[in-house]
Amino acid sequence: MSCYEHTFITKQDLPESQNKSVLNKYEDLIKKYSGEILKTEEWGLRNLSFNIKSNKKGFYFHIKFNGTGKTIEELEKAEKIDEMLIRFLTIKVKKHNLEENYFDKKDY
Amino acid sequence: MKRIKRFKKGDSNSKFNKLSLFQRPDTKFFKPCPLSGKNPPVIDYKNLKLLKKYISESGRILPSRVTSVSLKKQKDLSRAVKRARILALL
Repeated sequence: MSCYEHTFITKQDLPESQNKSVLNKYEDLIKKYSGEILKTEEWGLRNLSFNIKSNKKGFYFHIKFNGTGKTIEELEKAEKIDEMLIRFLTIKVKKHNLEENYFDKKDY
Repeated sequence: MKRIKRFKKGDSNSKFNKLSLFQRPDTKFFKPCPLSGKNPPVIDYKNLKLLKKYISESGRILPSRVTSVSLKKQKDLSRAVKRARILALL
């Protein structure tokens, strides 16, 4: 088991309820493939610094979890074919920093 | 720190010795790495406040000779900036 941080961006024109269901879908997927979710952060609607596939804004979701290589493989496989997502990023970390949330304040 | 050589007081001839081409400039100062030392800031792709200090206006990573960041921290920094770029944060 290793520590991972996963961030993904969904399209801006999705309603709130659908955003939640997207998040729940991937949380369930992590749990299904022997993952253990420690923390979920919602960074909210942010301006993208450049247009991605003609999107100007996006909803950011951030998940910190422990998992195996299989977890990542299945997660990214599902995300690659998902049309509601703009981008995602998985990063392996040595140790989780669960206290600090850099996107808590709105002054960014 | 070895580079800094100060001249002894009262040694008036020392100015002429300095004219050698191969001598290092006396005024060159040493700036410690701002990201090392005690309680350094965390280099992370989410820490945009820190990363924005080390990129130019057009979004390019500043060279370490300008910012005097150590080699190890510069590597961490550039990795963090590139990760933030993937997520369109910078």
